[in-house]
Amino acid sequence: MNKLKLIALALVSVCTLSLSAQVTYKASYFGVKSDGSTLNTRSIQKAIDHISEQGGGTLEFYVGRYLTGTLNLKSNVTIQLHEGAVLVGVTSPYDYFAAGDTKAIICAEGQENIAVTGKGVIQGQGTLLQGKVQTQIDKGNLKESLAQASPALISLKNCTNVKIEGINLQNPCGNVMVYSDCKDVTLNNLAVTSRQTANSQGVLFSGCTGFTMTDCYFDTTGTALVSGGNSTGVTISGCKTPDGKQLKAKK
Amino acid sequence: MKVTTGLLTLFLAWCTLSSSAKDYRVDDFGAVPDGVTLNTRTIQYAVDLIHAEGGGRLIFPLGRYVSGTIHLRSNVTLHLEDGAILLGSTNPYDYDRMPGFNTAFLLAKDQENIGLTGEGTIDCRGRAVAYNLVEQIHKGVVKDALRLDRPVEGSRPMIIYFRSCRNVKVEGIQLHNSGSWVQTYDQCVGLTIDRIRVESNAYWNNDGLDVVDCENVTVTNSFFNAADDAICLKSHDANFMCKNVLIRNNVARSGASGIKFGTASNGGFKDIRILNNKVYDTYRSAITIASVDGGQIENVIVDTLRAINTGNIIYLRIGDRQNHGKKPMLKNVTIQNLYAQVPATKPDKGYDYEGPIEDLPRNISPSSIIGLPDYPIENITLRNVEIVYPGAGNEYYANVGLTPADLDSIPEMRKSYPEFSQFKELPAWGMYIRHARGITFENVTMKALEPDYRPAIVTDDVKGLRLTNTRMIEPEADGKEQVFFYKTDDVTLQ
Repeated sequence: MNKLKLIALALVSVCTLSLSAQVTYKASYFGVKSDGSTLNTRSIQKAIDHISEQGGGTLEFYVGRYLTGTLNLKSNVTIQLHEGAVLVGVTSPYDYFAAGDTKAIICAEGQENIAVTGKGVIQGQGTLLQGKVQTQIDKGNLKESLAQASPALISLKNCTNVKIEGINLQNPCGNVMVYSDCKDVTLNNLAVTSRQTANSQGVLFSGCTGFTMTDCYFDTTGTALVSGGNSTGVTISGCKTPDGKQLKAKK
Repeated sequence: MKVTTGLLTLFLAWCTLSSSAKDYRVDDFGAVPDGVTLNTRTIQYAVDLIHAEGGGRLIFPLGRYVSGTIHLRSNVTLHLEDGAILLGSTNPYDYDRMPGFNTAFLLAKDQENIGLTGEGTIDCRGRAVAYNLVEQIHKGVVKDALRLDRPVEGSRPMIIYFRSCRNVKVEGIQLHNSGSWVQTYDQCVGLTIDRIRVESNAYWNNDGLDVVDCENVTVTNSFFNAADDAICLKSHDANFMCKNVLIRNNVARSGASGIKFGTASNGGFKDIRILNNKVYDTYRSAITIASVDGGQIENVIVDTLRAINTGNIIYLRIGDRQNHGKKPMLKNVTIQNLYAQVPATKPDKGYDYEGPIEDLPRNISPSSIIGLPDYPIENITLRNVEIVYPGAGNEYYANVGLTPADLDSIPEMRKSYPEFSQFKELPAWGMYIRHARGITFENVTMKALEPDYRPAIVTDDVKGLRLTNTRMIEPEADGKEQVFFYKTDDVTLQ
């Protein structure tokens, strides 16, 4: 009887939740583990798919290390990395896939209303991963160039209404962020550190309509900001490199 | 000249095959055998690369390799060395579902020359996967009606599901702990299973082996300990059937039937040889042959079968759940050189996922051959058979007598799921035959260890019955009529 009541209560609360606009889901709800060693790719992907299918919402990661390969972010889903939450890229080269031309931990193609927010971290384990990528290339198993096989942290193509805010982006294997043919992209208050692999560029964007980047910090081995051209409505303000230089979009 | 050309072509083909068959080591691709690292993508990459390079073996050296679903490709064999364990992820989301089909740890469709070999083990950890899936269902993340309070079979991973493949070899390995059926070969042509060991009492529906609508199959020298049917032939598609199957030198233990044809029997089973097998600690029948979906079953020989501590021995059944416009058929079956013992107690007691206690009250059920009035079972021979029963059938516990009213009261159950116990109490302790044509017993012994209120054999609507050198042994039964004929014509007793 008590159990029935509990189930009824749970049902009611789930129904109530679904009616409200911003549904939040804790990652553990989908069996995602914060132990740093469980590879969570498919569980997190299931969570993203589920939330998107339910009409959207926020997938919340609390303190812990969440090991993952490539995730495909879907429409109306926000990934919220709370302080202490670290999305950790797995060091196995074959767990990564591309959106467009660029492999990354977080990919999306043709999605809208997507976001990654919070005070947490996305970590690429660049040195370790690139070592393994190089080994597989040397053995002849991986038939891509080192650049092609080195995943970024975020790679979005043809997405609309994108917000990346507050988080720390650390040590990708390849470049940090790549945006191509996207519309209404907002990057705000990001701390980017990429010093583990050579020529790691901070943010590359091309063909975007409405690209706003404010108050970000870039400490990268490659160029911090690379505009591939053909973008309109570009605003860059308050973004600095370690020597205090303000970043500016090249015309 | 033509023969020479043919031979030359064959030789060239062989050369091509042997020259391209190469060994690759999975650790060369960076797979980590620590029992923790999820290697799915790495193993898959290796399989794809071997396939692209013309084929070969992917060698797994000693270690524990955790993975989700791997898709096998043509000309690739996974070779598990002694001590290598391919461990299924316990996360249900790490398994792929073949669209329209099943989910499995190892999947293949439309591939040829694929294999699983070596002395290693594939352990799907099906119980943990199923429990984790149940949790996700209760949360509503996965939709499932939880019929019988378990996730539907198709969403729990099998270890192997190969569909429409040619030339499949599974040799030497062990298969442990599936989430559903252990291994299913569906519409495959050319299947060799040899020297494998199946240990799977991990969850419901753990069939040991399902051969579905396959041709040219050999299952030899293998061991099966499975919670559901151990060695099972099925026919899912009315346009296909299992043809030319050899099942030889195997040992089977099951929470259901040891060797079973069906339940799905839409197309049928033809030219099946079941030679020198053993069944033990098995809850239902040592051998069940069922045509309940319009299936055509013919030319079956069961020779040299030993069934110890097995709840029922022979169950032959025609039903009519559906028939696709065909007449269900079960004919030309010979069962010879059979020795079997039925216990008084539950034969699968103590194994996980024991068979369900059902169809009570019921004294120990006889073996039976039960067709339908319009679809009789035809031409069945039992030769050199000895079955030992516990006897002790008590008429006050359950009773079906020998009056026409009693015998006619036994339902036909044409739409029901076929199991030896489905009719509840039957009026014989040894063998019950109904709606059959051409039944021959040669040198058949039925032995009851305790007195039973029923006769040994009851026949009903049988035409053509020949009993040669048939012995019925029951204590305190001097003068008891052990064979009772009802609506039975053309009887020969020798």
